[in-house]
Amino acid sequence: MRNRYAKMAIASPSRREFLFHSGMGLGTVALSALLAQDEARGGVSQPKAPHHRAKARHCIFLLMEGGPSHIDTIDPKPKLETLHMTKFQKERTKFEANMNTGERYYVRSPFRFRRAGKLGIEINDLFESFAGVVDDVCFYRGLQAESVNHPTALYHLNCGNQFGGDPAMGAWVSYGLGTENQNLPSFIVLPDVAYPQGGSANWGNGFLPAHYQGTPLRAEGAPILDMAPPPGVGAARQQVNLDLLNQLNRRHSARHPYHEELAARIESYELAFRMQAEMPGVADIEKESDETKRMYGIGGPDKDADAIGRRCLLARKLVESGVRFVQVIAGGWDSHDYIDKAHGARIRAVDKPLAGLMKDLKRTGLLEETLVVWAGEFGRSPDNGIRRGGEVWGRDHNAAAMPVWLAGGGVKSGQIVGATDEVGLKATEAAHPIRDFHVTLLHLLGLDDSKLRYFHAGREKQFSQTGGELIRELLA
Amino acid sequence: MATVLFRIAICSGLVIWPALAEDASALFRDAIQPVLKQQCLGCHGDGQTLAKLDLRTREGMLRGGERGASIVPGDSARSLLFQAVQGADVLQMPPGGKEKRLPEDLIAAIGKWIDGGAPWSEAAAGRKWDYKEEDLWAFRPLKRPHDPALNVDHFIDEKLRQHGLKPAPRAAGPTLIRRATIDLTGLPPTPEEVEAFLKDTSPDAYPKLIERLLASPRYGERWGRHWLDVVRYADTGGYSNDFERPNAWRYRDYVIRSFNADKPYDQFVREQIAGDEMDANNAEYLIAVGFLRAGPWEHTGMSVEAVTRQMFLDDVTHNTAAVFLGLTLGCARCHDHKFDPIPTRDYYRMQAVFSTTEFARPKVPFLKRENTSDLEAGLARMREIERRTQARIHSFDDRVKHLAPDELEELKLYRKHMQLDKESLDRYQPKAFSVSSGPVDGFTDGGPNLKLPERAKYTAPEVRILANGDIHSPGERVEPGVVSAVARYAGLQPPRIESGIAGRRKALAGWIANPANPLTARVMVNRVWQYHFGKGIAADANNFGKMGGKPTHPELLDWLAAYFTDHGWSVKAVHRAIMLSKAYQRGTRHRENDPGNAWLSYYAPRRVEAEVLRDSILAVAGELSPEGGGPGTFPQINEDVARQPRHAMGSVQPAYRPSPLKRLRNRRTIYTFQQRSLVDPMIEVFNGPSLDMSCERREASTVATQAFALFNGKFVHDMALAFAARLEREAGSRKGRVERAFRLAYGRAPDAEEMRLALAHIEKLTREHLTTPPPPKPERKPLVHEITSELTGENFRFTQQEDPVEYEENLHATDAKPETRAFADLALALLNSNEFVYVY
Repeated sequence: MRNRYAKMAIASPSRREFLFHSGMGLGTVALSALLAQDEARGGVSQPKAPHHRAKARHCIFLLMEGGPSHIDTIDPKPKLETLHMTKFQKERTKFEANMNTGERYYVRSPFRFRRAGKLGIEINDLFESFAGVVDDVCFYRGLQAESVNHPTALYHLNCGNQFGGDPAMGAWVSYGLGTENQNLPSFIVLPDVAYPQGGSANWGNGFLPAHYQGTPLRAEGAPILDMAPPPGVGAARQQVNLDLLNQLNRRHSARHPYHEELAARIESYELAFRMQAEMPGVADIEKESDETKRMYGIGGPDKDADAIGRRCLLARKLVESGVRFVQVIAGGWDSHDYIDKAHGARIRAVDKPLAGLMKDLKRTGLLEETLVVWAGEFGRSPDNGIRRGGEVWGRDHNAAAMPVWLAGGGVKSGQIVGATDEVGLKATEAAHPIRDFHVTLLHLLGLDDSKLRYFHAGREKQFSQTGGELIRELLA
Repeated sequence: MATVLFRIAICSGLVIWPALAEDASALFRDAIQPVLKQQCLGCHGDGQTLAKLDLRTREGMLRGGERGASIVPGDSARSLLFQAVQGADVLQMPPGGKEKRLPEDLIAAIGKWIDGGAPWSEAAAGRKWDYKEEDLWAFRPLKRPHDPALNVDHFIDEKLRQHGLKPAPRAAGPTLIRRATIDLTGLPPTPEEVEAFLKDTSPDAYPKLIERLLASPRYGERWGRHWLDVVRYADTGGYSNDFERPNAWRYRDYVIRSFNADKPYDQFVREQIAGDEMDANNAEYLIAVGFLRAGPWEHTGMSVEAVTRQMFLDDVTHNTAAVFLGLTLGCARCHDHKFDPIPTRDYYRMQAVFSTTEFARPKVPFLKRENTSDLEAGLARMREIERRTQARIHSFDDRVKHLAPDELEELKLYRKHMQLDKESLDRYQPKAFSVSSGPVDGFTDGGPNLKLPERAKYTAPEVRILANGDIHSPGERVEPGVVSAVARYAGLQPPRIESGIAGRRKALAGWIANPANPLTARVMVNRVWQYHFGKGIAADANNFGKMGGKPTHPELLDWLAAYFTDHGWSVKAVHRAIMLSKAYQRGTRHRENDPGNAWLSYYAPRRVEAEVLRDSILAVAGELSPEGGGPGTFPQINEDVARQPRHAMGSVQPAYRPSPLKRLRNRRTIYTFQQRSLVDPMIEVFNGPSLDMSCERREASTVATQAFALFNGKFVHDMALAFAARLEREAGSRKGRVERAFRLAYGRAPDAEEMRLALAHIEKLTREHLTTPPPPKPERKPLVHEITSELTGENFRFTQQEDPVEYEENLHATDAKPETRAFADLALALLNSNEFVYVY
């Protein structure tokens, strides 16, 4: 497996080769300037050594946007059966959101649970396929978010700061580990058709150089914006125009021999068109076997499972091609009402894709070197204000407990870490804030949060903001 | 004052402890915190956390290390920290035998502090100031050399001499006019302007050029944009709903007007911080304080009122300091500033200045200076959109109680659109996005909002230092105040700030806009310098503290700041001082050893900003609308992005509707609607500013996706065709058109080889276009969105409303001759070329 990207790197022309082949005749001054610039970018176009040895070199982050309920997925609470529709008892603090005011009632889970794997861990019965892979998964019940607002909680989970504008985890990891495939972005996001709340700031580069920003491969339309020319502009005409552009630029460079950035900008066009050539192949999942596609739920009756399955399969292909960090977003978990229907549909939609991804990664050997994370921005409450005559139960937001699982290189799989209280209101064991989770995820990828720093506007910045502690129980 | 009496000195472990304070908070401030810093943090916090123990925060103490929690508030006996300082059993801290043991009274103080609940107040009134002089430069008074013969070059040349550097010769005329025009107006010079400048052989041709550019209304649009970067201007609030701020555009126009009028900067500062307090009947002033609300902010049913209010207070406190004072005040929210002389107390004192500031949207009549020409038509269009949404809602009227879940979802969606559009309707109303001191009865504000207390029952809220910035941990009470270091190091005494409701901001503004405040003028002239040279004299425009870059030419910075205040805080005077210097007019060629152009031995070329790029493309294509002002317009953006569904809390946003009329759509980028959740992808990819955090300086990195936007994007292709059509209109022969194209795009004629290349290109592509007809005009299809219902988990489809106003199409290839289409190919190459996107 390890040599796969190496092969790809050989198959695509090296920088030096490309410069000679493209007939730019830049001369050695510009070439060395270009290489120097690459150096200055922190070697973004090549891998960098991790801070410590780690198995995982890639990460697939499966973001369940909307706040999946731990109580209805992977952390059942039988106690709620007896409390169902009784008044919810909670210490009221001085500061409450409107959402949490008024009469509130405990709500039982409408779902049945099944025991899965060697441990017999209880998970929602609808996880039919996923039940088959739980021995490779580490369930974590101790994580606690800090915000019960979608965008702030999403920013926090993705970027370490509730207010947006800081680099996303994929940007930090790309900054720390560099990229293995020069022709593809090192951080790729596979969003739903609709972007999550807070938009593209969820995968922004923040203050890190723009090279590290997440590139969304869109679920509809061109995978990368404007990757193809407008209708009516064929490849031949595009090439002729590009040739003219290169000639104009070459003459311009000759007049400005000391302007080093020019070479990098010329090169960016070549890189763009190499990406234009390579991306369709990487993004094309049609060549995968029917058996593989079925495993991911692709082509099945559930349209959402098909769409999410495609993104999960694409995630595997991207990791295989040397992409460092892939974030798959599967939203729709915000079930304030009708949680039986809404969460039911979500679970059915992710069941096969998740199981397929895990199996596929395992059989290709990629699981060993890939960290897989499954999490939403927060969990859900054990209670609900009474809605529509009490027939359409759902759950509200809850930052104090949330469902998370991890798998892959360096993760101690086949176990449950941490616990929530008997109604699922908050984490009580191995409880950790998001920053500790961030430190742990970086650690699993060979990066030390306290060393992975970037000096910006007079301050050393780091992903966890102020540092955090390792959640050792999660580590193999 | 009491704190001064309790001041302690710690010298090599010896503590002189005058008297034990009774109050645990004061104990912490005066005894515990200094001893933590001196004795503990070396191993447990600053740089390393031995035994995984971090004693820098109360939280860290509570979390503890390998041995468990360090403190049990209220119970010193069970607190590990107390046991350790007592030297009980194996654990003794500080380590190293009896001689290292803390004095008894201090150990007692620690016990008492823990028993008192271990409050963590970070007021540093009693702290020892040990800052290095070199890190305090920004707080020191300006050095004002009283030599009228001094100028910018005096200081620059001196450094060049010191470093043995020979400056590059003056740039050529065409380079100079392009540089100055883009610098001051954000647009390339027209061929006629270039010609006139080159023909003018009088000695004052260049100064006249600068005067002409400074007088151009385009100047305010360019420099206003810089200011909007720093204040994070946007037309929406961000987060879940991203509600429109329907009257925010009046602040944007106010900024442009202010720069054009060369409003004295001290006045500009005062108006933005305290306009409403200066004169509540002055329309301009009520608009100006929109500055205070520029940051992202939202309150929803899921937010805690006190938290969202605090979010505003933290935002306005931090940003006021960053924008005007170049201080990272936000660093002092949870703890005393780690590098700069800013105690947490100062942070909350400054926050107290804003604690009586309430949101307001008062009626403020439109000014003659404001562009109201589109209000009527804009309102009619928005009303029609609203009417249609209303009609959709009414279609459910007869069975609203018996709706199926997917119908309910659809109804919810239209109601959300009504809620969002209701705000949009307000952009045409004579209101201001403003503030008031204390609530003003009857004022309402958009979207879900905090409950505004009644004026009659209103009292100024008490402001307390919040431990770790957490509203659950209020500590010591503070009165409104300012950054104390300015008095300490610059001698500018703090203003008297009334403790009443009104007047707090006015006092703060007066203190900031005081020529004796050493930060204000330095920060602003440094910004101006940075936009001219690509880097500031001090490298970090928003951080003049220890960790910010030190000025390369400190005397120059001071001289320029003094020049600024001496010239009535005129920004245009600073432009003149800079642009008339030899340093500004140098060529870009450099052979000298001046890495990074630290000593300005040459002029460093720069890639233009995203807005300049878009505006320049429109301008050379002949499509730029000269109109400005009024509600934000909606440009042509990437169609995939325009048609993509976007979340609004619990539902989907209305479709992106580009302005149907070209004269609105093709306005300068500063006039486009700045939506936090939807930035024009072309602006974004060319390192557009963050709309959430103050952007002190644009990045100009080169990434491959820029090539996609510029070489493949439909907007650029459309403009290339318009450019070609313009050439056809303005020049006859192919040769003439090529020449015109180069003059428009580059401000110069093509050389012989370029002419040959261009003509060959036209020749070849005209042949191709003759045999390859363009694809037909695409039909406008209704926009159907399929979304997953939050209620049922099932998918449902709905059709987004179409724009009631017919879309004025761009020129389409089917309406252009093959030769014109070939010229569009040439134009595309020119618009993508390095010469077009760099300034020399």
